[in-house]
Amino acid sequence: MRNRKFFAFGLSFALTFGFLMLRRMQAQDKAPSTMTSIDPYLMDRDAEIAMARSAAPPSVAKDATVMVLGRHGYETAVEGKNGFVCVVGRSWDAPKDDPSFWDPKIHGPICLSAPAVRSFLPIYLKRTELAIAGRSNTQIEAAIIDGIAKGELPTPEPGSVSYMLSKQGYLNEGVKGPWRPHVMFFVSEIDPKSLGSDLGNDVPLDAREETIGRYTTVDVPVGNWSDGTPSPQMTGGH
Amino acid sequence: MLTSRNRNEDRSTAYPSMASIEQYLMPDRNSEIALARSAAPESISRDAKVLVLGWRGYETAAQGKNGFVCMVERSWMAPFNSAEFWNPKVRVPQCFNPAAARSILPLSIKRTEMVLAGLSKAQMIDSIKAGFDNKELREPEPGAMCYMMSKAGYLNDALGHYEPHLMFYFPLTDKSSWGADLPDSPVTLNPQFQGGPEPITEFVVAVDKWSDGTVAPVM
Repeated sequence: MRNRKFFAFGLSFALTFGFLMLRRMQAQDKAPSTMTSIDPYLMDRDAEIAMARSAAPPSVAKDATVMVLGRHGYETAVEGKNGFVCVVGRSWDAPKDDPSFWDPKIHGPICLSAPAVRSFLPIYLKRTELAIAGRSNTQIEAAIIDGIAKGELPTPEPGSVSYMLSKQGYLNEGVKGPWRPHVMFFVSEIDPKSLGSDLGNDVPLDAREETIGRYTTVDVPVGNWSDGTPSPQMTGGH
Repeated sequence: MLTSRNRNEDRSTAYPSMASIEQYLMPDRNSEIALARSAAPESISRDAKVLVLGWRGYETAAQGKNGFVCMVERSWMAPFNSAEFWNPKVRVPQCFNPAAARSILPLSIKRTEMVLAGLSKAQMIDSIKAGFDNKELREPEPGAMCYMMSKAGYLNDALGHYEPHLMFYFPLTDKSSWGADLPDSPVTLNPQFQGGPEPITEFVVAVDKWSDGTVAPVM
């Protein structure tokens, strides 16, 4: 799993470790502090709906609510009935010093379970609201920290899980694509090592503490993309 | 140690009652330690505490230092209505992370103690319910999970050693909240507990390699 540490997962497009840390340090001063225009982040509505749904197996995605990014924030494009919400995440969910914080190429299709919709999605939507309102990366992060501290924003409920099985995503400059299909869940902040993460290359999961949101994400790569085709790792192509 | 109460319980299955305790024990302690450790990658299991089953219950065979606990569960950790509840061939290697070692492992210890004490299934169920009521037993801690990546395990007659996977524990919830067991979903529900009576839900996510690093066949 060591190589996976160079990749970002989920809506938290954190670039981690190794050379990416170096890139981060080099790029900090170059990153714009605010969004210059919403236009580069917008997509064709139907294409965004399809991309959002591609995050989960059809059996989950077909009955999910789909939200798309508009000029004033995310809006519901399709009403669902199974409690899941599928969205295409954008770059501003990254840590404030991440060089990709305003990278419009980043698209992270994700389908969130009902507990994750209640306890994680509000944080991302808040980030989006602030980004569109012209707040800087530093201001956005400070607002999230403050919102959680005041109890205005949630921390993860048990059972907060998400699917990221899309072939279509572009998670960061490191992978320049979707990485591998994976299930990601959110738990209250715990040490990743207590899940086995970082203990060795042979451990089949990655966990990361998100200190801003006070949670830990756990990514477990799985065998197939949402369209049923096997991932490269499963066919020995990794 | 055994009484007639946990013998001759269910004539409709191939394993109607508890076999002799010898059939559940592994004669070689080192083999059981190795089997337990095979549940997780070496980077986890080498520093894990290991429990082995003895005549009076699980006992510590190796002290650990990373908070993980590895053991080989026996058939009585199946659902109480499982036809293989008393299958003496069952060997289920598991390595619990620290959160599961605190909140899930006690369930294995308790069931085993009750089995060895000769309690009936009905008595065991009542005792477990009481255990949750009086807080002797508790819901899974956040992040409670275990590794089940051994190719040497025997989960039951239908599954054999199954496929390498991770299990994640939550307070009792409906499987639909995870999209588990839907067509093409990579998540399945393990019915081990699911309110019968433990108020715990286990979700299973398959992984691609056994603990020894070899690639598992896609199921």
